[in-house]
Amino acid sequence: MASKTVAKDIITLRGSAAIVSEFFGYAANSILYNRGVYSEESFVKVKKYGLPMLLTQDEDVKKFIANLNSQLSEWLEAGKLQRIVLVIMSKSSGEVLERWNFSIETDGEVVEKGVSKEKSDKEIMREIQAIMRQIASSITYLPCLDEKCVFDVLAYTDTDVAVPFTWIESDPKLIANPQMVKLHSFDTKIHRVDTLVSYKNDEWDEQ
Amino acid sequence: MILRTPPPKKLRTDTKAAVEESSPAGQLLIYEDPPDAPDQPSDHLLCTYQCRQMVKSEFFDALSSAEKQARDYQSKWESLNDNFGKVGGYQSQQAERKQFREQFLYAEQELAAAKGREQALQEQLLKEVNDSKERFKKQIQSYSELEVKLQNEANLRKKAEFSAASSQEKANTLEGQLNRLSESMEREKKSLQAELAQLKRESRHSLSRKCAELEKVGSRATNAEKESELLKEQMEVLRKHLNECLHQKSEAEKKLATLTFQEPNSTDASILVKHLQEELRNYESEVREARNLKLSYEQTELLREKLFEERSRRERAEAEMSKLQELQHNMKSLEDELSAWKLMMKDIPGVSSPDDIPAKFASLQKEVLDSTMRLGELNAHLKQKEVALDEAQLGKQSAEADAALAKEKSEEMVQEINRIQSMLSMVTEERDKLRSLLEEYKSTKNDTGGRRVADEALLQELQSSLANKEKCIKELESSLQVQKEINNRQREEIKLLGEKLNNEARRIKSLERESDRLRSEIALLEAKLGHGDFSSANTKVLRMVNTLAVDNEAKQTIEALRSELQKTKDKLKAFEELNNQSGDAVKSVDSHISEKIMQLKEQIATLEKREERYKTVFADRISVFRRACCELFGYKIVMDEHQRPNGIPVTRFTLQSIYAQNNEEKLEFEYESGNIAILPNAYSSQPDISQQVGIFIHKMNSIPAFTANLTVESFNRRTLS
Repeated sequence: MASKTVAKDIITLRGSAAIVSEFFGYAANSILYNRGVYSEESFVKVKKYGLPMLLTQDEDVKKFIANLNSQLSEWLEAGKLQRIVLVIMSKSSGEVLERWNFSIETDGEVVEKGVSKEKSDKEIMREIQAIMRQIASSITYLPCLDEKCVFDVLAYTDTDVAVPFTWIESDPKLIANPQMVKLHSFDTKIHRVDTLVSYKNDEWDEQ
Repeated sequence: MILRTPPPKKLRTDTKAAVEESSPAGQLLIYEDPPDAPDQPSDHLLCTYQCRQMVKSEFFDALSSAEKQARDYQSKWESLNDNFGKVGGYQSQQAERKQFREQFLYAEQELAAAKGREQALQEQLLKEVNDSKERFKKQIQSYSELEVKLQNEANLRKKAEFSAASSQEKANTLEGQLNRLSESMEREKKSLQAELAQLKRESRHSLSRKCAELEKVGSRATNAEKESELLKEQMEVLRKHLNECLHQKSEAEKKLATLTFQEPNSTDASILVKHLQEELRNYESEVREARNLKLSYEQTELLREKLFEERSRRERAEAEMSKLQELQHNMKSLEDELSAWKLMMKDIPGVSSPDDIPAKFASLQKEVLDSTMRLGELNAHLKQKEVALDEAQLGKQSAEADAALAKEKSEEMVQEINRIQSMLSMVTEERDKLRSLLEEYKSTKNDTGGRRVADEALLQELQSSLANKEKCIKELESSLQVQKEINNRQREEIKLLGEKLNNEARRIKSLERESDRLRSEIALLEAKLGHGDFSSANTKVLRMVNTLAVDNEAKQTIEALRSELQKTKDKLKAFEELNNQSGDAVKSVDSHISEKIMQLKEQIATLEKREERYKTVFADRISVFRRACCELFGYKIVMDEHQRPNGIPVTRFTLQSIYAQNNEEKLEFEYESGNIAILPNAYSSQPDISQQVGIFIHKMNSIPAFTANLTVESFNRRTLS
């Protein structure tokens, strides 16, 4: 049997930033759908990463995520973004119920020197696909969100980053004594993204 | 020497030569130490158990051979004795016999002593073996105990390390909580201060607005009053005009009446026309008055609505004033909290203003970090010292073990030396004795001559065999020595391997400790990552300002404002329509007003008549119904309409029994949307009445039963009294 040679694609800093910000957009939509933050009727199916992905049709949410992604891409290209956290909170009490943590490690050499790396796009897509499947299956162990919830996105950046006028400094919105589940990660050779979900202990589980 | 055996029989001379020839090995072997025995080192005397066994076996062989020789000698002696008996005198033979017997007995005794020594040697060897076994067992037990102790200590160390790691984690989490609390406190303070300032501004704005609105309302009220006064004046003016017109009309009529006398026929029509014209004019004036009245009425209605709005605004302003008071109260409480925080700040050393708190926290954090670093370094030193202590203890133990072994060996050697010395002394004594015996034997045997030569030859053979055996013993001893050296080398190699094993075990333990520490660090870092902790020196947390919630709130407010705007526009349209309708009515009133007025008047008359008829009929019917109810049920019912303090209208029924003894015996019920409830009063709160109320109304929920029971009781009272 002849050995298969994996065709590697050249990945630049800008391309990697685009992949990561696009991944975050789809992951955020998937989380909002699976956790029931918005009604199912407001989502539409599209094909992405070889999977049927759900995207919201709410104009406000779409605009919010689009603006967010553009800023994240800018920070990723500058190598200033350390972490993105999608926080789900109770609308009535403001209590933080879940934190979807996406940690980002950037190759400093690529940012400084502008070199490019090689990795197969299929391999990256396969890794992202695994994470998306895990997000979809997370409803099996995450506690039910019975109350109306809202979401927010936090960005952990370097201290020397200039804060845009549409952004403000915030507290990290932590959960006290959370349960944590580590998901898969993906690597573009320039940016490595680790996913982790931490959630408030369910009272039923504590009993 | 006491003889224990009877003297042997005399032997014949014929057997002498045969005995001499046949006893080559019958003589005793004499063990002689080499002349330089004391100068040689005692190592060659040391032998292992096997050598001893070999020596023993050889000794036994020598003994057996010596016994044989002794028997041969005995037979020879007997033969000699026989010969002597034949050849020489009896007494000399007896003496020789005695001597030989004594020698024989001595040899036997020496044999027995040698046997006893052998047994003693064996017993000693057995003891030594048992002792060594016991020692080995004890050593193994001590080793196992030491291993158990080692494991326990290792477990204790692991537990201590784990507890130290957990306490460090707790300290870190507490630090994080402290940091978060301080940050949240700062943020809360800032937000509270901002809220305070905003509330103050808002309260000032609202106060000024309310004052302006109040002034506006007051001015509007005064304007409305002025307008109403003006309208009243206009009304009076119009009345005056009306009176004047009436007066003029009456004068005109009078004039007409006077004129009619003069021109009765031709002026009738003109008079009629004039009358009609006047009536027209009157009607026009009335219409104008009506129009004006209507306008004034509409204006008053508008003013009333405005007044109502102003009143509602005043109420809202008063409510907001109350809210302002609450806000002021909140402000006071916030100020109290601020002062409490300031007092707390005073308690904190090195802090004079809120801006110093972050620096103080930073300095405290640095101190905590330094202390944790020092703690870590101290722990590392401690661990190194513990490792060195362990090594030293192990070395000490090994040295103690070696010392014990060496002591044991030296004791063994000393014991063996003593034994060998005692053996030597015994053997030398035996040798001396044997030598003396031999010499005596030789001196006594010189006479015999030829036979002793054979004995000497036998002796020489025995000595040569002894020498050979001594050579064998020496060879064995040399081989023993070689074996000992080999054993020592192996022991040393075993020791070296054991030390290497211990070093490797120590290295493994240290590596395991490091791996546990690294695993705990990794778990800590992962927990921190999952928890969301971050270092404020390297990281800051940002979020977007225009969140969806704010947009939604803005949208909601916009929609509410839009709906209010639409309502006001509708109201404006309605007002405009009303104004237009009034304008249109004014235009058509001239043509249709008179007809309509006549029709309306007729209708009013008929309706009034009908109403009066209905009233009379209703009154009759109602009175009949009431009288019938009173006669049938025994209660006079009076129905009134009342209004509760909250504005809800209710119907109240007052029942008075026909058998009541005074006018105060009245029951009051309230009817509201299908439900009747009894109202407490002086009569119903009497004990017997209240008991009946409790039983029939509250428990059984039946007012008819209550009223029927009351009727029966009052009837009985009445009839009985």
